[in-house]
Amino acid sequence: MNPAVFIGFVGLGLAVTLHVIFVSMTLGTGLLAAWYRWKAYRESDPWAELFARKVFKVLIVSELFSGVWGTIITVFLAGFFTAVTTLATNTLFIPIAIAIASIMIRIPTIAISWYTWGKIHPRTHSLVMWIMALSGFGVPFGFRAIFAEINHPVAVGYYLQTGHNPGFMPYSNPLFWTLYLHTAAAVISTGGFVAASLLALDKDVRGVKAGLLPGVGFLVAQLIFGPLYYFSLDWYSPLLFKAVNGEFLPLLVIKLAAVVALLALGLASYKAARAGAISSYVKWLGPLALFTVALGEILNDGARYPNLVILGDKGLSADLFANLYMDIPMPAVYVILAFLILSIVVFTMAAFYALYRRFIAEVPEV
Amino acid sequence: MTNPNPLLPLSALGIYFHGVYISLTFGLPVAIGVMLWKWWRTGDRDYYKAARIMTAVLGVNFALGAITGTLVEFGLVQIWPGVNLAIATFAFAPLALELIAFANEIAFLILFIVTLGRVKPPTSIAILALYAAFAYFSGVLITAVNSWMQAPWGVGPVAKTLYPFMPEYGPNVVDVPKLVALKLAAVATGQPISLLIEKPGFAQEVGIVLKDPMVALYSPYALVSIFHNILAAILIGMAVATAGWAYRYFKTGDQKYLKIVKPLAGAFAVLFVIQAPIVAHFMGEVVVHYNPTKFALMEGAETTYHNPIIALVAYGDPNKPIIGFDELEKACMNNTLTVGDLAKALNLPQTLKLAGQSVDISALASVKLSDLCLADLQKAKAYMPLIHTVYYVKVAFAIIGGLAAAVLFFYFYRVPGLSAIASAIAKIFGDERRRVFLLALLLVLGTVIPAVGGWAVREIGRKPWSVYGLLYPSEIVTPVPYASSPGFLAFAYLVILAVSLGGLYAMYLVATREYKFLELLKKGAGVGQ
Repeated sequence: MNPAVFIGFVGLGLAVTLHVIFVSMTLGTGLLAAWYRWKAYRESDPWAELFARKVFKVLIVSELFSGVWGTIITVFLAGFFTAVTTLATNTLFIPIAIAIASIMIRIPTIAISWYTWGKIHPRTHSLVMWIMALSGFGVPFGFRAIFAEINHPVAVGYYLQTGHNPGFMPYSNPLFWTLYLHTAAAVISTGGFVAASLLALDKDVRGVKAGLLPGVGFLVAQLIFGPLYYFSLDWYSPLLFKAVNGEFLPLLVIKLAAVVALLALGLASYKAARAGAISSYVKWLGPLALFTVALGEILNDGARYPNLVILGDKGLSADLFANLYMDIPMPAVYVILAFLILSIVVFTMAAFYALYRRFIAEVPEV
Repeated sequence: MTNPNPLLPLSALGIYFHGVYISLTFGLPVAIGVMLWKWWRTGDRDYYKAARIMTAVLGVNFALGAITGTLVEFGLVQIWPGVNLAIATFAFAPLALELIAFANEIAFLILFIVTLGRVKPPTSIAILALYAAFAYFSGVLITAVNSWMQAPWGVGPVAKTLYPFMPEYGPNVVDVPKLVALKLAAVATGQPISLLIEKPGFAQEVGIVLKDPMVALYSPYALVSIFHNILAAILIGMAVATAGWAYRYFKTGDQKYLKIVKPLAGAFAVLFVIQAPIVAHFMGEVVVHYNPTKFALMEGAETTYHNPIIALVAYGDPNKPIIGFDELEKACMNNTLTVGDLAKALNLPQTLKLAGQSVDISALASVKLSDLCLADLQKAKAYMPLIHTVYYVKVAFAIIGGLAAAVLFFYFYRVPGLSAIASAIAKIFGDERRRVFLLALLLVLGTVIPAVGGWAVREIGRKPWSVYGLLYPSEIVTPVPYASSPGFLAFAYLVILAVSLGGLYAMYLVATREYKFLELLKKGAGVGQ
């Protein structure tokens, strides 16, 4: 493989993995925050309002940064893999439009929810929070259609054969629904575990329980959607399935072990929380859930290497879609990667101050 | 094929809203920095509170800027997928570097918001400065990409071959036969370029098109545009912030708001002096040189005429005539080549083999380049009434903005003679509360209208091309029919307008509303009981 194409593939993989890690945190915690904000308004429950705000901090800190990695994915795709990007935009117009519309609603409503908290009527604020939380799920509803298509091109195949735009056909792709439900359950579960970890630092037993409930509950749902997606790969994307069970088997084993650990520790922690105690390992459940998400994404995308698109038991190499219109200046690419790492360091520092050192006030200032 | 015409206003709407938020994103850090500086030097908490409120507005605004930026980005790759060829070549370096800017911009903004009030003012100023540096760097790179579309630096004589009145666009770092073959294939098939470049293996077949990936970064057009656009955005953001605080002063008469307006007006005036007479002049010069049709449209030059003032400003020579469309048409007529001659000179075969399909260009062989050139000039000329009017409205409001900035500056900062004149002028507006507010409002009008008009002149003025002298909108538009269907257009307009107008209203709420409904939160946090 051309070195520039290899770097493009690895860079794209890094961007997708980081994006998915942050998105998992923000989608799940968004839903939890909206739910408890609404509960606080309906039941006049001060704890629920404070909990919603604490959980929402995770989003406030990380959403835009997760968006950055989404942008990085787009630039990597268009810059390094021009053909596949152009083919996707010409073919998957509707799923991409759904994702963009969702992003357009999601990000401003997050900022609006945070900064108007206490300034507009709680009922209106709850409504904005719900729009914020639910619009987030529209983003993977659009983008996961692309992932399903590159693993099993149903709509793209139709387009290449007929020249007609397939419209909503990406949603008839059998891989889409298992992948989407798998993703939706995973992000809610991850958000719950992240919330539980955060609230464990506050020694808030009720908060830990409130996080663990969706964490464990949707992890159990994953026990249905996960295997369903895994076996649907066997049926519709056998080359990818073979790679996952071949050279990527160690990663799969580690992921499964992490899921088992998460489930066992989550259940034990939930039991303890119901009895009014916070187990010492709750704070590690969030990072463990995020680690599981990262492994899942690496398995889903990395196992495609050296192909970018899978056609049953055949693969279309990344070279076929690559930008070969110029010699990509590799020193510039390395400098860019170095600066991206700097941004991760700065972001981590900001997140540390915001979440662990409580630099963001729980009650708004000024 | 998709008709690009309904999609052009949609793109323009998205870009304009992005421009609104970007202006605040660029201007508010300066305003916040001024407040933090004053807080640091005086210890006065009013300045800190002002900085904090503006930071909250910046937070909402940044989110809106980021999503409209995403919209513009997706608009480019989805609505105009032919642009992907540019992203893979000329725009690759600026957009790849933009990743550095965008990622660090957000990381430092989050760090600034999180630590504001928790660290000392100089530390906050330093973090804010780093955020602003990356934000401006992002502006530099995006302007470089847009500038390449205005003056495609690096294609040397390619555009001049088709349009003899055009200059050469820098060094020739492209494989001309390949570039022309792609263009001819699009013309011959009547299909957008994206249908060629989407084919797996197409890039392998075509091979290297661009020899210098960094060429877009050293275009003189880009250099001047960068200073012009970024300063304009900073000025708009500062004008809005100044007017916001002036309005509070107008409503309440509270001197603490006047205290905030004063340093903002001072910083604004200094930046305006750099922008209006200096940078804007150089911008005009590069337009004269690199966009001859745009300059003729701006000056309403259907035919060539003499105007010593405009000639002095534009060419530095009052005796030179203002080149009109008649001269440009004459230049077209001098081109006696046909498409066939051009193809022959470049050793292109009559049948191009592209992405597994054969494209016969022999039907184009007899087409005269002079006819193409004249037809495009006619299309450009249709925009003359619009561009000419918008350009002079923009200039008029820039002058109003400059006068308002000067009056406000000398009103606040005493300079013998000038301050007396400023005070006399200011008195026309009524009492002090009214005069400060109305002058600040004129700053907004004097920056926003020139920017809106300037961008319209920049973008519409380069028509009928999307990439000046090289590509039409129809060649880069999406082939997807839904894109121009009434349903999709209605949906897209609705989402853009709802989010953007809702966002603006939210920024107003954030800036003006006091906290009223925090009882539950305070109870939960155990405060205020």
